[in-house]
Order: sequence, then C-alpha cells, then structure tokens
Amino acid sequence: MAAGREPLSPPTRTVDVMRWQFGQTRSQAAERGEGAYPLPADAAHPSSVAASGAPIVEMRGITKRFGPVVANNHVDLTLREGEIHAVLGENGAGKTTLMNILSGMYQPDAGTILIRGRETKIATPADALRQGIGTVYQHFTLVPNLTVIENVALGAEPGFLLDLAAAERRLAQLLTDFELNASPHTEIRHLSLGQRQRVEIIKVLSRGSRVLLLDEPTSVLTPVEVEGLFAILRRLRANGVAVVLITHKLEEVLDVSDRVTILRQGRKIGEIGPEVISSGDRAAIRQRIVEMMFGGAPAEAPSASARASGAANGSTLLALQDVTALGDRGEVAVRGLSLELRAGEVFGIAGVDGNGQKELGEVIAGQRHVTRGRVILDGQDITNKGVAACSRLGIGYVTDDRLGEGCVPGMSVAENTVLKMVTRSPFSKGFWLNRGAIEAEARRLIGQFDVKTPSTATPITALSGGNIQKLLLARELAMNPRLLVCNKPTNGLDLKTAQFVLRTLREQADAGKAVLLISSELDELMQVSDRIGVIYNGQIVGIFERAAADLEAIGHLMLGGRERERGVA
Amino acid sequence: MSGRERLRHAAVPFAVSLLAVFLACLVGGLFLELRGKDALHAYQVLIERGLGNPGQRTETLKQMAPLLIISGGLAIALRAGVWNIGIDGQFFVGALLCGIVVPELAGDVPRAIVILIGAIAGLVGGLLWAVVPGILRVRWGLNEIITTLMMNYVALNVTSWLVKGPVRDPERVAPETKQIPLSDRLPDIPGTSVHIGLLAGLLVVVLVGVLFRSTVLGYMFTALGRNRRAAIHAGLPVGRLTLLALLLSGAFAGLAGANDVMGVQGRFSGNWHPEYGFTAFALVYLARLNPFAIIPFAFFFSFLMVGGQSMPRRADVPTYYIGMLEGLMLIFFAATVALERLWSRATRRAPEDAPLAIGAASAAAPVSAESDAGDGAVSAPQNTALSAGETR
Repeated sequence: MAAGREPLSPPTRTVDVMRWQFGQTRSQAAERGEGAYPLPADAAHPSSVAASGAPIVEMRGITKRFGPVVANNHVDLTLREGEIHAVLGENGAGKTTLMNILSGMYQPDAGTILIRGRETKIATPADALRQGIGTVYQHFTLVPNLTVIENVALGAEPGFLLDLAAAERRLAQLLTDFELNASPHTEIRHLSLGQRQRVEIIKVLSRGSRVLLLDEPTSVLTPVEVEGLFAILRRLRANGVAVVLITHKLEEVLDVSDRVTILRQGRKIGEIGPEVISSGDRAAIRQRIVEMMFGGAPAEAPSASARASGAANGSTLLALQDVTALGDRGEVAVRGLSLELRAGEVFGIAGVDGNGQKELGEVIAGQRHVTRGRVILDGQDITNKGVAACSRLGIGYVTDDRLGEGCVPGMSVAENTVLKMVTRSPFSKGFWLNRGAIEAEARRLIGQFDVKTPSTATPITALSGGNIQKLLLARELAMNPRLLVCNKPTNGLDLKTAQFVLRTLREQADAGKAVLLISSELDELMQVSDRIGVIYNGQIVGIFERAAADLEAIGHLMLGGRERERGVA
Repeated sequence: MSGRERLRHAAVPFAVSLLAVFLACLVGGLFLELRGKDALHAYQVLIERGLGNPGQRTETLKQMAPLLIISGGLAIALRAGVWNIGIDGQFFVGALLCGIVVPELAGDVPRAIVILIGAIAGLVGGLLWAVVPGILRVRWGLNEIITTLMMNYVALNVTSWLVKGPVRDPERVAPETKQIPLSDRLPDIPGTSVHIGLLAGLLVVVLVGVLFRSTVLGYMFTALGRNRRAAIHAGLPVGRLTLLALLLSGAFAGLAGANDVMGVQGRFSGNWHPEYGFTAFALVYLARLNPFAIIPFAFFFSFLMVGGQSMPRRADVPTYYIGMLEGLMLIFFAATVALERLWSRATRRAPEDAPLAIGAASAAAPVSAESDAGDGAVSAPQNTALSAGETR
C-alpha cells in the first residue's frame, strides 16, 4: 500500500488526512468497481490478507518501575499495519502501563521504541498523536456540551478562529463512514456511550493516527455496540491502521484479533500470531491463552482455617432476583443478576475489574439504585431501601476505595470509627455526641484489630493502607452485621495483614454470618470461599463449590468464555 | 496529642491567616504608594478612625454583630460543603421582612416580644430565600453557587420594588418602610452604647461552635463537607443535610438583616445596600471555618469597615480600598495555605485540617470582592464561581 509507506507523521491539514487515510482505499475500491464507498466492506478483505503488514511500531525491552513494583519487565511488542493486536492480561499484569508508555503518558525506565524502524522518544500524549499514535481511553475525553463537530475540531483546526463549516465539510465523509447515526450538530451528552466512543475514534483518526490504541473499549458497550465497534475496527484494519485492543475479554478478542500478546505480572508470556489464530481451532487457542494468563498459579490446598463447612445446609439469607443496575457512567453494570447467599458461607465473587462486581456490592449495601429486580434479605424486600436502612437491617459493606469513600480525611481515627454508627447509642444521645463513648469504642477496636496508630485523635490519613483497612473492617464488624460485603479487602496489603483480613472473614462465616467476598485474586478466593461465583459483564456466569473449583475453568469464565463444552470451534 | 502539639495545631493555622492579613496590607500599601498616596498616613487614619476614640470603638463593636451572625451561618454551610453565595439576598429579604413586621407591632406589645418577632421575621425571610436554591440542589442537583448568586439579584430587585410600592411608608416620599420607634429598637448592652446585637452575634458563633464540637448534626455536616462520597457510603442523610446547611446559613443571614434594621437603621430603606456576603466569605476562610476564630476576625473586619469609611475624606483613599484589602487577604491566604501544606508534607506531618478546596474558594471570592473596587482588570465572577464549583 502506498499510503503505508508514507512517513508516519501526519499531514497538517485535516482535509489531507482524509485523503491520506482513506483516499487510497477509495480509489482501490473504485478500481474494483465497488462504487465510491470509501471503506470497503470487510468481506472483501479477509483478515489474513490484511494481517501481514510491515511493522509500524516496535517496542523493545520496555521496563517500567513504580517504586518497588515492576509494572513492565522487558516487554517486546510489535504493531504491524493492517493488524488488530490484542494485549491480554489480568488486572495488574502491566497492560495499561505498556499502553501509557506508547501513548506518551509515561517514560520507560529502559527499552526503546522504534517507529517505522527509527528510534523515537514519545514525550507526551500530544507528541504521540503527532507521531500518528492515537489513544481512545476508557474514560472518554469529550466535552459533553459541545457538538460532535466541535469536539472533533477542537484543537485540530489550524488558526485562531474556528471555521466549523469547513471542519464539517472535511469531516462529513468520516462521519458518514462511521455510521454515527446522529447529526454532527448533536451535543455529545445526548449520544449513547457507543456513539461517543465512535466520536473518540473519529477524533484521533482525523488527526492522522495510523496506530489506534483502545483501552478496554467494550467495557461500556452493549453487545450490539460491540459488534458495531468490531466492524469499524475491521474496516480500519483493511485501511492499514494498526489497532491495539487492551482487554481482558478473551472471547470478544478472539472474534476480531489477528494477533494476541499475553502479559502476566509485567512480563510478556507469549504471543499468538495470525497463522495460529486463523487456523480456526478456537477451543485450543482459548485453552492456551487461559493457561498463559492464569496457569502455573499454585492450586491452593485448602488451608486449615478453611474447612469444608456445613454451609450448604445454611438457610438462604440474601437473594438477588434478576437485579439490574447502572454504573456511574450510565452503562448497565449489573445485568439481570440472580444470586443466593446462605448464612455461614463465604461466597467469593471472582471477576476481572469492571464487570459489575463493585456495583453488585453497592446494590446489596443499598448504595446503588436497582432499576429492575428485587433484593431480599431474610424474606424481607430491601430493594432500594438505601444505605442507612440496609445497615440497620444488618448488612455491612467494606468498600474497595478506602480513602475516597471509606473514610473522611481530616477527621480523626476515632471520628472515622463511628462514621456509620454515629446516630446509634451509645455514640450519641439524641442530638448530642458522646465523645467519651466514641473514644472508648475506637480504643477497643484499635486494640482488638491491632490497628497501628499513635492515638485515636490522629488524622485517619496518617495511617497506612493496611491499618485503615483493618479499621474499616473493624467498624463494620462492630455493628455486628448478618451479612458482610467486602470489595477487595486485601488490595495493597502486606501478606500478614491480608491473611488477617481473610481469616477474620472466614471466622465471621463460621460464626453463622454470610460473607460476600469480591476479589480479583483467585488465590485468596480459593483460600476462604465455600462457593465461588464468576461475574462477567454484569452476570454470574458460573458458580463453583470450592472443592470442585478449578482455577483454569474460573479464569476461562472470567474472560468471557462460555462453558467449555459449548465453545465454538 | 500532647498539650504542646495541640497548641501547635491551633497556632499554626492562626499564624498563617495573620501572615495573609499582613501581606495584604503590605501589598495594598504598595498600591497606594504607586498611586502617589501616603500609605502610612492612610493606615494611620484607618486605625484612628476605627479604634481611635470611644465613639469609633463603639461603632466597630456594633458593626461586628451582623458579621458574627452571618459568619456563624456561613461556617455551617461551608463546613458542610455547601456554597452559599446568596448571603446578600438572604440578608435583604430578612431585613425587609423585619422592616415590614416590626413597625406594625411597635407600641402595642412589650419591646422584648417585638424584638423576638423581628428576629423571627429575619430568620424566616433569610430561610425562605434559601429554600429555592436548596430544593434545586437537592432534588435536581443544580449547582447552588449559581442559584444562590442569582437569587441575590432577584432579592435586590424584589425588595427594592416592594419598598418603592406596596410596603412603602405612605407618609414619606423616599422608598422606605415605616420607622421603628426608638423605644422598640434593640436596647444597648447595659453600661455601653453598643446594642445587644453584638451579644446575639457572639451567641450565634458560640452555638455554632457547640454544634460542631458536641452534636451529631455538626459531626454529620463536617463529614459531608470533607468527603461527600464517604457520607453517602455511611448512609448519612446527605440530601437533608445539604438542604439544612443552606437553610441555616440563609436564616442567619436574614437574622443579621433584622439586626441591622432593628439595631442601626430603624427601617428598611431602598437605597441601603450593605454587602456583607464577600466580607463574610473572607472572614470565615481566614478563620478557617473555626467558629471561635471567627470572633477576632469579625472584630478586625469590622474595624476595617468602620475605619475605612473615613479614609476618603482624611486620606483621599476610596472606601473600596477595604474591599481590595479583603480580596488580597484571600489571595495571600490561599497562597500561604498552599505553602503550609507543602511544608507539612515536607516535614511528614499529617495535613492540617484546612477546609477542602480552599484554592478554588479563594480563587472565586477575591475576584468578586475586587469587582466591588470598580477596578478595571476584573474577570467575570460568575465564571470563576462556576469553575470553583466544578473543581470541588
């Protein structure tokens, strides 16, 4: 392709970009007699044809450290034109760091980046864009009360005065091509998330990007929108754009990618090329990828504290019936989910971040509005009763966002201890606070849970994460809940504190309470749970008794795999 | 915490505020020198006319009353994270309501009852004026900074229309309500010529202090203001708390209006436009939302207001100069708070309990305060207020 051999730095005028980008294809299409439609349908371009382009970007030996954590450890990645390249990995595997390096957000500590064979430094995101690398972030960067055209033209049009009419003429074709199904004069806030994402893609392409990075692009989309996105990506591929999908949704990825790179704990574990992917043996490929992502994890022997309890006989304490709830961005986060929790069990929720587990926890705690379905606690309908009511009925919730949501910075340890029970006796008598009782309670919990703090009057922010976590857990348990929901309670804790937290949860269940443990760490779920439910895309896609649980099967489901027998060849 | 540490905790924020005041006076003085005025002489006049003789001192103490009452209420709102920019509007409505009700009762009922009813009228007027922004905020999430600000203009024009027409004293040509007879005005504190409004102001501030120290409500306000998400997470009644904080600060602003009508003006007059709102913001921030620290700062600002009135005649400096000083104080306050934070981070101390988003606050207020000074280089305060709301 002639277009592909041009220097990667884009031409200055958008109008040229358009020709540069799509003009070539348009003429090719015309030659083939496919009419004037600039983006040929995918059928005309089997993936195997496109996926053999020259390397555009080569990352070699990229290493990035954050303090003691090595986020990327000598990672190599080659992006070729006309290829859709998926980068897969668990949370914390280093995908996002790698992409942030490529998009100029971070500078690598070691390693080189070659663009079209020339060693290049990508200093800033703007620099990346100038070099033809465009990124569509998970959180969109559009201005909600500007129109589509204004957003796309923002910062891209030359000169001081914005000629929107000219911008519209230049962008008209691009907007049609991407089937936005909305007037370019619509304000962004009126568009669906899928449409906004298209505008983001249009925005970076209109700046001449030849490499398109997409961070978790499907996480906010409906299944139909996902299909639409993939159709677009295939067309871009046909135009020689190198597309990078950062994701953990294996099943989706296999539908569209030519090449898959797997990261684990900062290292590149493997790469599967188009020759294998196009071989068609989906089940085998999937198996291999799951092994690479999760395999080798030591199958945890049931620890002493976690015995096969009689949980199966416990009565149902909490039932979710067909519950649907929206996430913070208005997307459907919990999708018709049903679940039953029994007294005396730890129920683990396994899932990759962003699959609705946080929202599920909030729904149970009464902190998130349920748009459909019912939540029933011990026979009583508690749907949308609110946090205060749920708390009084015996539901405790430990949030994963300790500082942002769990406590009040600037208040003392003692004041934070009673945050959720300040209206209860003995911490207040009617209108008046009982500071003495608050102090005493704080001291009691600090002692019982071995929270390290200089005093009860110390500001909470002076404590370490582990100690804050212990205090938050202590605070819930002090209210003696019947049901305790914990979202990632061991996140960022040292091993000893993490074990303490897990042991505490197990003890609670053994004492006849129900515990819902949300985590992305399979090991810890295996250690304390009686049952493990896998959440994917807002639904429970599988429930395993711990004895029968199999790490690989769970990992497979976490990534969006259907049950293995039904895997499509 | 040891006693010494506790002292440090109290002393450092106070010192930071004093430093800001000092720097503001210094830079303000430089301005005067640049304009060819004698800055030292101007400050001398300020001090003499603010505190120089018993009469001036009485004026300064009288002027403290509305500042104390307003600041007490504003401290509640700001502690709860609610931005009541509508102090002036609430003040006017409270003052007018008081000015309508009190003359009707005068002479028929004992003075104590008249004053009580007048105070209630002020409270109710201010509270009513905060209801609409409060409901808009809680029910529909409208930014209270915008709505309370706009309600100021509505209040200004509605009160001015009422006092020109429906509630004007028919005996008079000027747009004024009926006069309150001297026998029904606020009595002086025995042994002084300062009316009891000062005591009311001190009482309000002390009550607000007690509210935050010892009550569940105060605790919940503070939790809400410092971390709204944590308040939601903990199941606190966030909507009701927000509304209540706004209503309380509105009611106190209205009470301050009643204080001025019954204590100083004797009637509500259409060409009487005290603008305490931004002074109160500066004051409350310099006091770092601490009700007890409000008292000395109220005294200081009151002194500035009283002394500043004499500056045009005696030192050829416009009274607007005081508004400029207040603005400078907030700018320097924001700067010194930022430095203090850097310093406490550098010395590995826990952050001081400075109000959140102080940077945004002081970015908004001083610009607007300076716009009072009629200075050329002033940007639109509404926009600044908008961005302040969003950064919060």
